[in-house]
This record gives sequence, structure tokens and C-alpha cells, in this order.
Amino acid sequence: MTKVDVNVNVHHLTRVEGHGNIVVDVKNGELVRCELQIVEAPRFFEAMLRGRPYMEASHITSRICGICATGHATASLRATETALGVEISEQTELLRKLLFHGETLDSHILHVYMLVAPDFLGVGSVLPLAASHPEVVKRALRMKKLAGDLCALVSGRHTHPIAMTVGGFTHLPTVKELLAMKERLVAARKDLDETIALLKTLPWPQFERETEYVSLKKEDEYAYIDGVIATTDGFTYSLPDYRKVTNETLVPHSTAKHCKHNRESYMVGALARFNNNYRQLHPKAKAVAEEFGMQPIVTNTFLNSAAQAIEIVHCVEDSIQLIDQLAGRGIEEEPLYQFQGKGGEGVGSCDVPRGILFHNYVIDDDGLIEEANCIIPTGQNYANMEADMRALVPQILDQPQEKITHMMEMLIRAYDPCISCSTHFLEVEFIGN
Amino acid sequence: MEHTSFDTLIIGLGNPLRGDDGVGVRAVQMLAEQTLPASVEVIDGGTRGLDIINLMTGRRRVILIDAADVGRPPGQFARFTVDEARFLGSDQHFSVHTAGLRDALLLAQALDMLPSEVIIFGVQPVHLEWDNALSAKVEATLPNLVEAVLAEAAISIGVNTSLWHTTNNENKDER
Repeated sequence: MTKVDVNVNVHHLTRVEGHGNIVVDVKNGELVRCELQIVEAPRFFEAMLRGRPYMEASHITSRICGICATGHATASLRATETALGVEISEQTELLRKLLFHGETLDSHILHVYMLVAPDFLGVGSVLPLAASHPEVVKRALRMKKLAGDLCALVSGRHTHPIAMTVGGFTHLPTVKELLAMKERLVAARKDLDETIALLKTLPWPQFERETEYVSLKKEDEYAYIDGVIATTDGFTYSLPDYRKVTNETLVPHSTAKHCKHNRESYMVGALARFNNNYRQLHPKAKAVAEEFGMQPIVTNTFLNSAAQAIEIVHCVEDSIQLIDQLAGRGIEEEPLYQFQGKGGEGVGSCDVPRGILFHNYVIDDDGLIEEANCIIPTGQNYANMEADMRALVPQILDQPQEKITHMMEMLIRAYDPCISCSTHFLEVEFIGN
Repeated sequence: MEHTSFDTLIIGLGNPLRGDDGVGVRAVQMLAEQTLPASVEVIDGGTRGLDIINLMTGRRRVILIDAADVGRPPGQFARFTVDEARFLGSDQHFSVHTAGLRDALLLAQALDMLPSEVIIFGVQPVHLEWDNALSAKVEATLPNLVEAVLAEAAISIGVNTSLWHTTNNENKDER
């Protein structure tokens, strides 16, 4: 084979924006072109926030992504709170962590069961899987329901975290409700065991490529909210210095910017968190890592999905602990923040399911947003996806083109990219019309 | 689970930051301002995709409102049932991140988890770009859309459409 031209047209992208291509061009066994474009960053992010009151920012930005509504809202609130000098209470911090776990669980379960498992089981999509293994898909939906109900309990509504506000919560769960949720989380351990057992049977492709892994880090916990920016190349930055890590630059073939730090690219997401924060994982999650044979630093991108499974166990176990802590101290109504007539600038960061996310706001003395910036995880992964593709293609050139295409799709899917995650659009053809 | 006392569920889907994709959410916001019978619940389903399946569980009847390519002129809508429609797109690229109504309904069907009655109101969008406003055409069709959904839910509360700035009578003939 002297030329491979793989043009994968991912329908749900093309029908929305005309993007979503993987282009691989090999001539005489040499890779001459290897490009990818998937995600369109929220281009009008700043425009939609400029001039709006600070308290609206989290509600507006939570709509950017249907999967990461809480992630965006939390990063947004942390940016606002930092800008305005708002201290949050221990109760608020605990509740935010619990809510964040709910969303991480929901997102990871979706990815592992609905995308990764069908890929590995060779059934193409979750639809044939529903026919051949309905119990597997029903288990996924059951776990998703638990995660969704956890989010609804803390955030006030299933779809959007409406109860989360600057400095706290407008609605609080009761201890009784939290303890009932704990019972369900404990009962879900059986589903967790079956999830891990399923994943252990999947044939993970062998593909190693060293890169830099970037995530949040805290000394005493597996960091999802706040902390410092840490990399596996040994760098550490405080959040206001996020631009020293992201270094966004334009590339000719894509409207999306690329990010790089110490190398040609870096990776964010579950595998990056695992590599930087293995020590802070819950012991039961560490035990799963052992079962998978994973020890940091793991350099196989495909294992990002396995890292997600490890995090599923971590999030359930840590949620149980968080509820115990909340029940122990009791839930109290707390006074909400009142604007003090002084603006400022703040950076908020969360490690959302797909990786580290940054919101950066400048708020004026009237409480209106002057400037806003947002850097999403998938945007940071672009350069690393392309570097992975450039490394993988020469290794599999002897395979049929169909197989190459499939491997490339699996590779990109392993990143769990937020493929234009905010729009869904239904195409319908009427029968007999 | 906690919703099973409601016989009919109305779900509006979409992203209000993506132009006309927000029409379902706008419609349920308007519906939520109406006085609804105790047996009807209205939910802003956003873009949570497969969560629709869990939301539908236990309901007898579900009415869904979403932006859809229903082969109508932009701004107009069509009412159809799951059986009447064939959903397009390759299953090979089933994606959960953009998993919309199509994917959720196909999966629910495969698992035999569809409610006995599922009615869809699909609104033909003008644009789906990043924009926090609906197009004028879709905005104009909202009152008729809401009225049609209320009629579907058999809610006889007399919607005063004269309060809305525009009506689009074309849609009435389409149904």
C-alpha cells in the first residue's frame, strides 16, 4: 500500500457544522498529512458574557455543554468568587464536590458503556449492544440514573445546576435525603464490580507514546476543583498563570487553536489526573488500577477509558465519604453573598470529565463582566490527538484501510472529546410521504 | 422514579446558546408559565441526550419538543409519533456527546423502554450557530407551537395567543 487516504466523516458533526474530519494521507509509506478537527470552541463566549451581571455567568456558561453543565458552572463560580474575594464555607465546598462527582460519574458511565464498550466488543454502536447484551445497557442506564439523581439532589434540577450560586447554594438537600442517596451509592457497588469485570475483558490496543500530562493537583485529595496546575514533566503553576501552560496558537488547517507546554503537545483528562494524582485515589480505585495493571505514568492513550473506570469507583466511594461528612456536621442554611461594590479579576479551574477547564473573568465595580475567557479540555487535547495519530498510523499501515479508520476513530474517542457537545439535531424522514 | 405520579411528561430539548436549537427549551419555559393540570409535568431536558430515556421511564405519554430537520420550511414545525418517523443517520457513529433525541429514542426502542405514547414536535431550524437568540422565524412560530403542544396534552385552559406578537397560521394547516 503506497497511499492511504482516510476521510472519516462523522455524521453528527457534519450535520451541525461541516467539521469533524480525520484526514490521513500516506505516500510511499510516509505520512504526509494527518489532521483532525472536531470541536468548535464556544466562539462567542466573551461576547455572551460581556456586560452581564456576575451572578448570571454560571447559569449562562452551564449551557455550553450538556454533559459538563456542573463543570462549567463550578469553574465559572470559582472565577467569579476569586475575582470578588468571596470565601466559600466548608458545607458549600463539600456539596460542590459531591455534585461534581455526580456529573463525573454520569459522563464517564456514558463514555465507557455507550462508546468504548461497543467499540471493543466489535458491535459498532450501543444499539446492537442493546440487542445482544440488554442487561449491560440497562446497567449503564441504571448507573446513569443514580448519577443524575445525585446531581438533582444537590443542584436542584436534573439538567442544570440551578441551585449553585456565587458563594453557596440557594437550595440545600436534607441530611435524610443525603443518607438515602448514600444507601443507593452503597448498593451500586455491585454494578461497579460488574463494570470493572466487563472492562477487564476488553482488548486494549497496545500503543505507547510519551507525552506531558496536565491536570489539577492537591496534596490531600484527588483534585477536581481548585488546586494548582501540575504536569508529569515536573512543572507546577498557580491558576492565574494558566496561560503559561495552555500557550494557545493558531494552526493553518484548523479554526481551533492548539495548546502546548513543554513538548509538542500535552494531554488532559482522566489519564492525566490518574498520572498526576494516583497517590490521592481512593484505595478501592487503586485496587482497580492494580487489576488493570496500571501504574503511573501510563502512556497508552487508549487507557484513558480505563482511567475513567477507575475514577467511577473513586467518585462513588468518595461520594459516600462526603455524605458521611455532611451528615456528621449537619446541613445549615447559610447567608448568601452580597455584592460589595468592588470588582476584580479571577481564574477558576476544574478538572471536568474531559480534563482541565479554565474560566477567567474581569468584573467591574458595578458587578458587570468586562472580559471573559474560557479554555476547554478538548481544545487542549487537539495537538496531542494529532501527535498520537502521527505515531499510530505508521504502526498499523499494513492493516486494511477499514481497520485503520476504525483504530483512528477509537483513538480519538479514547479522549472522550466533547464533540460540539452542545447541539443535537434530529433528522427525520417521513415514511409514505 | 419520583415523577411517576405524572401521567404526561413534556420535555423540551436543546441548547439555548446554539440559536434555534434552543426552541424546545424556550417552549417549555413558556409552558411552565401556564397553569397545567396536576397530571402534566414539564421538564427542560437541555442537551442531556440519553437521560431522556430515564426521564421517560414510568410515563404513559411523553411529548417531546426539539429542533429537527422535518423537511419543512425554516420556522415551521411538524407533529409526529415515533412510528411515523424514520430516523436518519449512521448507527456506526452513535455518539453520546451529541446524542440527541434520535439516539435516545432508538435506544429506548431497542430496550423496549418506550412509553406507550411518544409524540414529537419537531421545529425546522434556520440556524444552529453559537447565538443566544432564536431566529425571527422560529421565534414567530413559538406561540403556535406552545398552543399545539397544549392541545396535544389535552389541556383546556384557553391560551390567549393575542398576547404574543406574531402568529404563524401556516403551521395549523401543516398538522
